[in-house]
Amino acid sequence: MAEKVKLFVNGQEVEVEAGKNLIDAFGAIGIEIPHLCYHPALGADGNCRMCLVGIEDGRPPFVPACKTKVAEGMKVQLDTEKIMKIQRDIMELELINHPIDCPICDQAGECKLQDFYMGYDGKPSRMTVKQVLKAKKVEFGCGVVHDQERCVLCARCVRFTRLITKTGELGIVNRTDNARVNIFPGRPLNNRYALNVVDLCPVGAMTSRDFRFKQRAWFLAKSPSICQGCSKGCNIFIDHNREKYKDEVIYRYRPRLNDKVNGYFMCDEGRMTYKLENDDRLTTAQVNGREAGLSVAVEAVRRAISEAKKTVVLVSPNASLEQMFAIQQFAASINASLSGYSDGYIKAEDGDDFLIQDDKSANRAAFTLLNIDDSKVGFDAALNDADLLISFQNDLGRSLAEDQLASILAKVKLITISNALTSCATKAAVAVPAASYSEDSGSLINCDGRLQRYEIALVKNQPLKSLIEVTNLIGGEIANNQEARAGLQAAVAVLKDIDLEQIPAEGIALTESEVAHVAA
Amino acid sequence: MSGKVKIMERKGKDLYERLYLVEIVKGMAVTFGHFISNFLDNSKLYVRHYPEQKPEITSRWRGRHRLTTHEDGSVKCVACFMCQTNCPAKCIMIEAGERVDGRTEKMPVRFDIDLLECIYCGYCVEACPMEAIRMDTGIFAVTGSDRQSFVMKLDALLATPGAFSEEEYKKGGA
Repeated sequence: MAEKVKLFVNGQEVEVEAGKNLIDAFGAIGIEIPHLCYHPALGADGNCRMCLVGIEDGRPPFVPACKTKVAEGMKVQLDTEKIMKIQRDIMELELINHPIDCPICDQAGECKLQDFYMGYDGKPSRMTVKQVLKAKKVEFGCGVVHDQERCVLCARCVRFTRLITKTGELGIVNRTDNARVNIFPGRPLNNRYALNVVDLCPVGAMTSRDFRFKQRAWFLAKSPSICQGCSKGCNIFIDHNREKYKDEVIYRYRPRLNDKVNGYFMCDEGRMTYKLENDDRLTTAQVNGREAGLSVAVEAVRRAISEAKKTVVLVSPNASLEQMFAIQQFAASINASLSGYSDGYIKAEDGDDFLIQDDKSANRAAFTLLNIDDSKVGFDAALNDADLLISFQNDLGRSLAEDQLASILAKVKLITISNALTSCATKAAVAVPAASYSEDSGSLINCDGRLQRYEIALVKNQPLKSLIEVTNLIGGEIANNQEARAGLQAAVAVLKDIDLEQIPAEGIALTESEVAHVAA
Repeated sequence: MSGKVKIMERKGKDLYERLYLVEIVKGMAVTFGHFISNFLDNSKLYVRHYPEQKPEITSRWRGRHRLTTHEDGSVKCVACFMCQTNCPAKCIMIEAGERVDGRTEKMPVRFDIDLLECIYCGYCVEACPMEAIRMDTGIFAVTGSDRQSFVMKLDALLATPGAFSEEEYKKGGA
């Protein structure tokens, strides 16, 4: 536990974490200090002056809370008449040239300017001169649309491109009324994390081309989950909504704070993977290219398994730990050889040193934990003289070229249990639909060996069976996540001391606990 | 039970009334008197000859909705979803899109009001920041032969004119 210090806020004694600035320390115990320019990941800039507070110990009368560290015995004033006047005046200054086009602004509902106006200002405008008009709808590249009129010049976006991506595409040009955020001529935003400026922007000056006008913020349900775009396992919010007479649709992913994994950010590619959850889904079972009921398909799978001489089970590196274990047990029970071959999920040289990884699958680290072989050699050897291949959400079309896949399909019968209408699913003799990760729960191990848990984010109008339930239907022993977790704890030494039902929000580092285990 | 109790005198005890027939004839005389006088001259009747004769509607009447336009004919609605958010009957369904007529940035590409679900409360009119939706068409009777015909689309909402002058409408307290 971090060290604590005691200090006074408005005369009341509170205990906060030491070493932090006033905004973060008080924010953690539920006392809000309004601020626009400060962001924990970008550091204190002190340009908005919204966070000015009083300190009674001979300092200058007012100090910015973002640049002031907490200290023992400090007496902080947050609500004197003078501080409230400063907050009102800053709000008035910000709103002089603000277009107040909240009705058409995507940020409305999650806008700091709106919140602070309601909380700290609430006064009608006194301006009688005409507003300064600036450019709206400026394309900044990478799907970022900028509105210079709405901008409060907090420079969060500018600092993001300088400090985090180190590309520095943005800058503030001109001064006073004419100051505006802009790109350099002919040099649009060009980095793979650009859409984070949309989240960082405290107002609606940065909007996403992709999300623009799709939904109002207050309609969206925000469910925590984990991105499965690559093996980093960034923590996200899945923002989804069920419109009247329609099905649940995911509208965007937003990064969710996890200091141990992704911090406040995520990459643009991962952000767009929400589309895979909405579109091109396999929703009805197919037998020999014709739509069929689930029970018919399951019966066909069971018959194929009992008739097969040798079966190969192919598991996806995106499957959760529980699903992998259930499939492993199922493969063992029908004497099938198990492979995790999925070279196509790895995009060499694509990763960087921040968040993006080469491996575009979420849970390959679990293969080593469960001793699942994912080599091409192993897969080819297993396929030799096999006559049935059951693929669990593993899209072979990504790993193999068209002709290679065709030559395999000429030898074996393919059964696919899939969430998406992949090329593999369309070619399969039997395709059984299964729920995807936004509709399911499970545990994942990311590239750094951190065990994380995701829960069911949304329930479709016609919910599909989860992968474990489908495995259970076609003959697997394990019926649900709880049974799989119990089995995992018994079978895998590393997981023995971990309560898989209660993984903390920031996850558990398996490597650390392994070390602790050996040391003990 | 305390309080004043007033005992009413019971009527209908005398012979005439107990015979019924005399009283029935007296009652029928009143009925037929009205019937014959109205039959010969119906100008004094307290009944409106609907639908030939339409009622007079005040400008405050909440009739069927319409969407208003700017002078150049472009739609005033900016698809802010305030009406949909406020609607207690959840009968408004909007889809927003990029604006194409040069004004601001956003406009509705779909704007459906399901009149079978609408409770004509007028909250949408109150919520609208653009005065884009109004219930001043004076249409109070909506008929249709199937459910789909009661879903008002964007074009139909824009095509309906208001029944009152701007001045009269404002007098109504809008």
